[in-house]
Amino acid sequence: MSNINGKAYAMNVITPMKPWKTPILRFLFWLLGAWKAKQQDLINLSFIEFARWVIVPRHSFPQPDSAQPSEDLRYDYLIFFSNFNGTWNQYIDAFSAVLFDGLNLIWRWSEKFPGSVPVTPFKEYISRVQFDTDYYYTAYPSATANDLKAAHIVQSALDDLAANAAQLSPQQFSDAYLHFLLKVQSNLGDAGEPPVVC
Amino acid sequence: MPNQSGSLYGLTILSPILNDEKATPSHDLQIRLYLASLYTDERGPFALAPLTHLTRLVVMDDVIYVGAPSCEEHTKFKYLVWESNFDGDLDTYLTTLAKTVPTQIDTIWSHCVGYPGTSDIAAFIRYMKACQLQTTFYFAAINNKTVEQALTAIQTQKAVSDFVACHQGMEPAQLQQEFLQFVEKLRAQPVPQRGSAARARDIKTGGHNE
Repeated sequence: MSNINGKAYAMNVITPMKPWKTPILRFLFWLLGAWKAKQQDLINLSFIEFARWVIVPRHSFPQPDSAQPSEDLRYDYLIFFSNFNGTWNQYIDAFSAVLFDGLNLIWRWSEKFPGSVPVTPFKEYISRVQFDTDYYYTAYPSATANDLKAAHIVQSALDDLAANAAQLSPQQFSDAYLHFLLKVQSNLGDAGEPPVVC
Repeated sequence: MPNQSGSLYGLTILSPILNDEKATPSHDLQIRLYLASLYTDERGPFALAPLTHLTRLVVMDDVIYVGAPSCEEHTKFKYLVWESNFDGDLDTYLTTLAKTVPTQIDTIWSHCVGYPGTSDIAAFIRYMKACQLQTTFYFAAINNKTVEQALTAIQTQKAVSDFVACHQGMEPAQLQQEFLQFVEKLRAQPVPQRGSAARARDIKTGGHNE
């Protein structure tokens, strides 16, 4: 069991919500999905590789076998999955500092959510509602989201230069190579090995 | 569609785990034991089958009680939660898994209610879709690159960095020749293995605050 693989951390959070609040939250998520500018803070938190929220209505827990008894619950549930780089504390701190408005808008409908600021009760709440990962796989454990973005920039620039490098005169190539270096210089490097956290 | 972002698909599955008081150890524990023995590197099932960027499997014992004045309640079943981020569409992904790593998939899900096995792929897909939850909001930082493109780009980034460091101040004609050779050699390299370079962790506590 581990929440960590390489440079990625898997977070699972589940919180109860009174069912009458669920449509409000659905509307807010619809708004967030439609209003791309509102996603900018999430994009700017560049250590998140993938994240999702899933609303599970109390009568919608899966029943693959019709003979299986259905759940009898009072609350709907909001499940949050995140794949991020860095430590748990860094992640919660950054969420609280940068996305406090958005977080409050999403989780204020959950029972006993204390607000994302101040951060200490917020961390206590997340600790309470988090459950651990049993198996975690990533195809690129040595790379963070930023490493990947940088690598794709280098790949794209290299492909552009290589496409007509053979047709250029040496001097034209030299100029193109210099232009290539200017484009990729801040994205070069090696992702290296992930740190070992004990 | 909330399950998708660009060319990426975000799959969320909750499979109820068998409640059998006679099973020893219990089915949820058997899943946990098996998951603990699975490789997370290039030998793991999700590396052997292509398409998966990141995925997790979690045994959810119960819903969480956050304290009074909210009501305490419990689910009748424990659930196996599967969260996956992969390239392409769901049917192709599930078919690929069922064909490539059927033993591992069957060993995990054979402890779940109504699981039909991977031998009948249509039934397997129907089962997974019956357990699927619609994602309400899905975010992918990079949503237009495949796993293979990501691994290739990481390899390219390092190779280009080395090339640049070793070719500073070179005459244009020689630089051009060496660059063309470098590109040719780089493109001939195999794509790095999925899941490779994961370092073994001696301590797997899974604690929240790691």
